Amino acid sequence: MSLTLYHGEPNGPSLTVLAALFAKQVQADLSYIDLARGERHSLACAHEPLVAMSIEGEGPVLVADDEAMTDSVFIACYLDDVGQGVALRPADPYERWGTMRWCRQMIERTAPAAAYLGCRAHPPQADAAMLKRIESVDLRARWEEILGGQFSEQKLEDSRSKIRQAAERIEARLADREWLMGGYSLADLESYAWLAGMVPLVPGAFAERPRTRDWLARVEASPAVAQALSLARTPEPAASWSVGPEINRWG
Amino acid sequence: MHSVTLYHWEPNANSGKPMLALMEKGVAFNSHYLDLLKFDQHQPEYLAINPQGTIPAMVHRDRVLTESTAIMEYVDEAFPGPKLMPDDPRDRWRVRWWMKLMDQWLGPSFSMIGWSVFVGPAVRSRDPAELKAAVERIPLPERRVAWTKAISGNFGAEEMAESRRRVALGIHMLEEELGKRPWLASNQFSLADINGFNLAYALPLAQPTLSNDELTPNILRWLRTIYARPATRACWAMGRTSMVERVKILEQPHIAAGQIA
Repeated sequence: MSLTLYHGEPNGPSLTVLAALFAKQVQADLSYIDLARGERHSLACAHEPLVAMSIEGEGPVLVADDEAMTDSVFIACYLDDVGQGVALRPADPYERWGTMRWCRQMIERTAPAAAYLGCRAHPPQADAAMLKRIESVDLRARWEEILGGQFSEQKLEDSRSKIRQAAERIEARLADREWLMGGYSLADLESYAWLAGMVPLVPGAFAERPRTRDWLARVEASPAVAQALSLARTPEPAASWSVGPEINRWG
Repeated sequence: MHSVTLYHWEPNANSGKPMLALMEKGVAFNSHYLDLLKFDQHQPEYLAINPQGTIPAMVHRDRVLTESTAIMEYVDEAFPGPKLMPDDPRDRWRVRWWMKLMDQWLGPSFSMIGWSVFVGPAVRSRDPAELKAAVERIPLPERRVAWTKAISGNFGAEEMAESRRRVALGIHMLEEELGKRPWLASNQFSLADINGFNLAYALPLAQPTLSNDELTPNILRWLRTIYARPATRACWAMGRTSMVERVKILEQPHIAAGQIA
């Protein structure tokens, strides 16, 4: 099977997938795209429905033969299935449930908040021609808001609060363990990928959370994440952001 | 007593997902019905099971599980019976992709419309003081906002229009995808179909100008095939309100455009 991974700087969704790829020793051609300039929308597969309508926002794309896959946690599950070595999800169904539930909460609550705060501090840049290529109306609307500097104070505060809640959950979870779920898992990769860049942006969330800070350092030093970070083209990959998932429309 | 207890509302949306998954697997369970419209899910007895106050929750022996899609994956893995996830890793990816789109993008748009026409009016006649107290008991702030909007009927014109746009686009996407293969995400019946049926079982009734046998033949073929399964019949028979009786629209052999006013 031929695999090509189109990825951005090792942060957020690109970091999750790159680290999963290396942890599972899957061979793939790596192709860098600048997600912060919307380059995903210039790929040949950009208009395939499951790429164009991915609700992750600007994330990596894994092309396996004739199929382009999006959504980083599910790409990582795919890599976990096809790769070798230690499983990224526990074997026990209850612990697997815990891992998928944890990732769902990261996807739904933490990722939109982190991307919103990240884009405010480190704005992505796309030109008008690139914006026109974006097929998803709601993704394009998020781009336009961000490019126009329209950040709502209410959403910013809500986002900071979501980051504090994530750090609080992690701190509590680590009371009696080294990794979030069983051994080193997808939950660690996904949580680290969204939160590493939040330490300077929401410092209060991490100030009195020593276990969380130690865990961040442990994940960063793990071989798969270190290998992913070594691909960085900028001095601070955790400061590289693009438009993320939507903040919950219900409130 | 069975080893599984499911706390659920109607066989509809999130509650119906683990109900139907358990029934497809042939897993017997104790059914604990919670009346969403009476706010049973925010009462102390239930908050002791699921402190977030969201429905459904499943207890298997002494373990509590929440989040309906994650529960479905657990049900598939933890019990014998027919497999509800395909073996091929790419198919599994597609099942999860579609469930996410339905859970986080399409479902909330359906439910915003559903809440504005069904849930809101159903509870609005109650004593305002009782409703206020009920809302204050809701643990998750975003659910508190949602319930406040539903009760007051205060969904903005712009957000309702956006929900309608998403529903129309989502129907188009489902129709296209179901033109590629017999089931939504793979060539075998899977959790994506269980998820999708819970979202779309009343589609030709709720969105007659967007979904009928002429405009969306693949969706109608798919819904009728799922409705014909014994587990689906048994599951929908557990419904207690008129809402789930809407499924009977699928008993009509042909639903023409303009047939349902």
